[in-house]
Amino acid sequence: MPKNITIFTTTTCAYCPMVKKYLTTKGLSYDEVNLDQNPERQAEALQLSGALTVPITVVTKEDDSKAVVIGYNLAKLAPAVA
Amino acid sequence: MTEDAQTSVHDVIMIGAGPAALSAAIYTTREDIGTVLFEKGVPGGLAAITDWVDNYPGFPEGVAGLELATNLQKQAERFGAVIEVGEVLSVKDEGEYKRLETTEGDKLAKTVLIATGSDYKKIGVPGEQEYYARGVHYCATCDGAFYRDKKLVVVGGGNSAVQEALFLTRFATHIDLLVRSEIRASDVLQKELQKNKDKITVHLNTTTDGIIGEDNKVVKVIGTNKQTGKIVEFQTDGVFVFVGLDPNSKFLQGSGVELDGIGLVKTNERLETTVPGIFAAGDIRSGATMQIASASGEGATAALMIREYLEGRKHPIQN
Repeated sequence: MPKNITIFTTTTCAYCPMVKKYLTTKGLSYDEVNLDQNPERQAEALQLSGALTVPITVVTKEDDSKAVVIGYNLAKLAPAVA
Repeated sequence: MTEDAQTSVHDVIMIGAGPAALSAAIYTTREDIGTVLFEKGVPGGLAAITDWVDNYPGFPEGVAGLELATNLQKQAERFGAVIEVGEVLSVKDEGEYKRLETTEGDKLAKTVLIATGSDYKKIGVPGEQEYYARGVHYCATCDGAFYRDKKLVVVGGGNSAVQEALFLTRFATHIDLLVRSEIRASDVLQKELQKNKDKITVHLNTTTDGIIGEDNKVVKVIGTNKQTGKIVEFQTDGVFVFVGLDPNSKFLQGSGVELDGIGLVKTNERLETTVPGIFAAGDIRSGATMQIASASGEGATAALMIREYLEGRKHPIQN
């Protein structure tokens, strides 16, 4: 079980609700950072992922290691939150 | 015509959950035809990632692409359509049934609707792959917000390119629109383009030849003015590409479903492919007009043809 999940989103991104829906169906809670409303955090999203895109899902595990999933990519998201 | 629980044979499996499949599902589920849709991406397909849709009937002020997609999904699910997340890897005709190899295991269906649509095509120039998602993008509604107060290049001259360039003016200080030949967008969009000429500069007859970066960032696009033959350069912080569509039909190799020269699915007037019981609708169909409204219409037509097929009856227009 992850210690913490943060999703970086934008208001108009169609893939972002899919990630949130997936996590909800798995019973996982998450924090959301909307980059339209919090543009000052774009640099943080870029630093974590190396990508200028959303959604970016940052999964912090029990041992504080981080998994970063770019986009709506279930093949990577599912093992990251397992 | 409900699901056969013992053999888990679905009445119809729809591959994709864009406007064509969701519209078809509204019709099939209302006919009590057991309907499962497989979607590897986002329900609504390209419509869901389109900023604004002004030409879908019934919305006098237009509608956000995501809102239209969400409403289509809700309407299909209200009547019992099941949308599964997964990718169909291959389709095999086993006579009475079709076997679909999916990321969620093999599935059987009496009929199949191929409605996988298309993805945005790549330009295929140096730098495009290297800077993907780090300066090169294919979804303005997803990634436009990263370019607040920045300069952008948009590549393409069709409806999508112009629509998304207009959307990106919310963020960017200036946009260079590189058009290989002439603008092909609708008159309405061209008028909008004119209204925004202080923010969008259109460069006709201009190819995009390379995307150049420095320090891990895109800094410029190099192209050629086809009329003068001169190399042209555009300083930019990012590039958004909308240069046409790439059909999602690779999984059909070996299925017996015939494709045309660019990979679109051939159908007859009943939207049936060369394999009986397998139908196609929407942007993936050869001859489709690549419009959301026509995809929805084709979905409705395909649903009625699927019903006829399942009932073992020929359509009344047939002799």
